[in-house]
Amino acid sequence: MEPEVTEAAERREEIVRIILDALKSLNQELDEGAQIEITPTTPLFGPDATLDSLALVSVIVDVETALTLKWDQPVSLTDDRAMSREISPFDDVGTLTDYILELLQEISPA
Amino acid sequence: MDIYSAKTALVTGSTRGVGRIIADHFLKHGAEVIGFARGPSSLESQAYHHVQVDLADPLAIQQAFLGLHKRIARIDIVVNNAAVLTSQYAMIMPPAAAQAMVNVNLVAPFIVSREAAKFMRKSKWGRIINIGSMAVALEPIGDSVYAATKAGLSTLANVMAKEFGAMNVTCNTLGITAIESDMLAQLPRDKIEAIIAGLPVPRFAKAEDILNVVDFFASDASGYITAQTVFLGGVN
Repeated sequence: MEPEVTEAAERREEIVRIILDALKSLNQELDEGAQIEITPTTPLFGPDATLDSLALVSVIVDVETALTLKWDQPVSLTDDRAMSREISPFDDVGTLTDYILELLQEISPA
Repeated sequence: MDIYSAKTALVTGSTRGVGRIIADHFLKHGAEVIGFARGPSSLESQAYHHVQVDLADPLAIQQAFLGLHKRIARIDIVVNNAAVLTSQYAMIMPPAAAQAMVNVNLVAPFIVSREAAKFMRKSKWGRIINIGSMAVALEPIGDSVYAATKAGLSTLANVMAKEFGAMNVTCNTLGITAIESDMLAQLPRDKIEAIIAGLPVPRFAKAEDILNVVDFFASDASGYITAQTVFLGGVN
């Protein structure tokens, strides 16, 4: 496998892990009956999502904080670009992963 | 009594005036204190951690918090004290001075509060205290933008109180009257004394008056006190 392909795959894996960690952290705050399913396709926003708005904010904050510390510069997931997209980056874990990879490509190309 | 032991407090504008008084008070009573200010600090204490940051620059504030995330695990109390004041008739107020007041007096407390709330969310406890001003109620000539930013500060606290309430984080505002400080020295003394003479308690504020309310807002017992503005000296 080409080194850059491996690096890109590793980066995707790491981003997915950061998002899933944020969901796990959220579950620790939620009651047993309100637990969020933790999978790479978990819906985050929209009719299929089980997160309320405050829970989604919590996940975004945790993901932003982890990315900011990892890449050593402030990372914002909720700028105008994210909000104006036809397909929301916050639809599910996959769309959020794609969006973060796009942002990181500008900050630090893989 | 070490009422602030095991607490970490962040004070903006900690190098002088009211911010310095509050930082000294927290340190005296056992807190670790992080001070944000544009210039260096003369405060010497092992429990004091100074961060030089231009509070007029939102990105610089975020960078400062990035540094804090690497060094500290918690922020329990925030005092948004830093402010700038240009008192001038509106028709001749330099736009840059107006913008600076908006940036330092309103946008900076927003950024500081939201970044600190990310720490408080984890510990499920926090106290955000904004230092407001009697100018909000008295609306003195020349203070159009300053008074507006301080009014905005109360509104900021009130909305954040709703957003952060579930995290056991309270947000309140202390509207102080005139106290001897560098900021006060910028204003005509006769006009300030005339305003003070018209207050229900016609005297300048003392450090104890300010610290009394700060302690009240910051205490464990005040978890049910939020979205409130308390004015000193009978201003309302």
